Amino acid sequence: MNVTRNTVELTGVGKRYGRKHALVDVDLTFDQGVTGLLGPNGAGKTTLLRIVATSIAADTGEVRLLGRDPHRAYADVTAVRRELGYLPQELGYPSDMTAFGFVEYVAVLKEWNDRERRTQEVRRVLDLVDLSDQATVRVGRLSGGQRRRVGLAQALLADPLLVVLDEPTTGLDPAQRADLRRTLSTLGHRSTVLLSTHQTEDVAALCERVVVLAGGTVRFDGAVTDMVATAAGRVWLADEPGDDALVSWQTGTGRHHVVGGTPPAGADPAEPTLEDAYLLMLGPDARRLRAPA
Amino acid sequence: MTTEAQYWHADPALLARYIAGALDAVTGASVEQHLSRCESCRRSVGPLLEPGLVDRTWAGIRDAVERPPLPHSLRLARRCGLPEPTAVLLAGAASLRSAWLVGAFLSLSFATLAAYVSGGTALAPFLLIAPLAPVLGVAAAYGPRQDPLEALVATAPYGRTRLILLRTLAVLVSVLPVTALLGLAVPGPPWLAAAWLGPALSLVPVLLALAGFVGPRAAATVVLLGWSSVVVASTRGGLDPAWPVEAGQQGVYLALAVAACAVIAIRLRIDRQRGVAL
Repeated sequence: MNVTRNTVELTGVGKRYGRKHALVDVDLTFDQGVTGLLGPNGAGKTTLLRIVATSIAADTGEVRLLGRDPHRAYADVTAVRRELGYLPQELGYPSDMTAFGFVEYVAVLKEWNDRERRTQEVRRVLDLVDLSDQATVRVGRLSGGQRRRVGLAQALLADPLLVVLDEPTTGLDPAQRADLRRTLSTLGHRSTVLLSTHQTEDVAALCERVVVLAGGTVRFDGAVTDMVATAAGRVWLADEPGDDALVSWQTGTGRHHVVGGTPPAGADPAEPTLEDAYLLMLGPDARRLRAPA
Repeated sequence: MTTEAQYWHADPALLARYIAGALDAVTGASVEQHLSRCESCRRSVGPLLEPGLVDRTWAGIRDAVERPPLPHSLRLARRCGLPEPTAVLLAGAASLRSAWLVGAFLSLSFATLAAYVSGGTALAPFLLIAPLAPVLGVAAAYGPRQDPLEALVATAPYGRTRLILLRTLAVLVSVLPVTALLGLAVPGPPWLAAAWLGPALSLVPVLLALAGFVGPRAAATVVLLGWSSVVVASTRGGLDPAWPVEAGQQGVYLALAVAACAVIAIRLRIDRQRGVAL
């Protein structure tokens, strides 16, 4: 086996649900480090993550995880699953299980059979997500953010080589996001971490690399700073909203933040953010995202 | 409360006997009282303790507090040799909740009573319910609706198929003995007490095979309606009440079971998505 292989290799991967194309001919590779998948709802983020997490099979194309083809043989998919940590987007929590009991249950499914070592590992991951004090509390009594962290804890069991997190930041407050950032950056030294979000702030804070998905195709793949650079010279602060701007909104200072189009009269160039770059990348779709609530 | 300094200290020999538990109750309590207030003596106790004792004790306490206790039935099963990790998995399975077991037991008891009271002329209620009890239990053991952790189970190395089979086995082990005992109370020839086992054990693989195509709920409905119509039709048709479980019919159940197992095996083999064939 080639040792320099990437952890995740997707070649021409496609997936359809009935007539809807969730992913179209996606080529991506991932290796050590934290990558953020960014995209509007229905962009194909969850489908991509489920394929990488061996939860569903791709219809077309080739998938290789940790150098193995998960569709080939039972032994291959099991070998991948032994090195996988997965937080699904919608994870049900049996309300009568305690936080400790929940993580321990998953630990047994991950073949931690020695009781003593399993106990230590469950405590370690609960500690990582700052839930040691809540270990004996029933999951039904935890807050939404705490429950999400219990889900995160099980994904970190056994320091997996491949970590797939579908919207891990839902329900986390800023302090917990900072903790998550610390945990993920440590994990990223050794493991391949893929996470999805529709918040550009999360990507800016948590990831080194960003992949923008829209309509099942890859719109951008590169470093976060490179993505921000794509918006250079296309963002302004102006006194008017701008006639042909892609999107614009009034900031706290009363001036308008104008993205795309031609600069209105008297506009000052503004420092682009990741969000500006994201909106420009989505093009006309961005208007929907940025529409006033 | 006074803040005066301690004027006396426990000597090492006394402390050693205190740690060994060799002091009488009054002296022991007195040393303990003293230790709670005298830092100097507390420090001398430390080196006298067996190394690791405090850690071990604390770990034991933490274990007892953190780890959810196993239900009685599983503690019993552990004593009979059930591996500890398996017990943890079964404890998390909604299918083995006592509510379901009590329900199965009650409906079986009523059916048995009905057959018994009528003196063997109305075996139908018992024959209707006995083979279905394990089937409904397995269906409950199965579906994503019953298992909120479905997405995790499907991607864990343990495997969804294995987990479902484990639960199925647990359901059978918990229901079959009770049903067998109640079967003894049913009037009729002695073989009747065990004859319902044939359909019961064939309907379970049929359910598992069907569930792979249409999901556990629809599969349970099909199996339930199928078996009910066999029993009702034989009663209506004026056949012997024990007709559905006679030798000839048992052969059909066996054939069905074999066919269902073959379907499960083939699906496991050809399904691209390993581990989600069932």
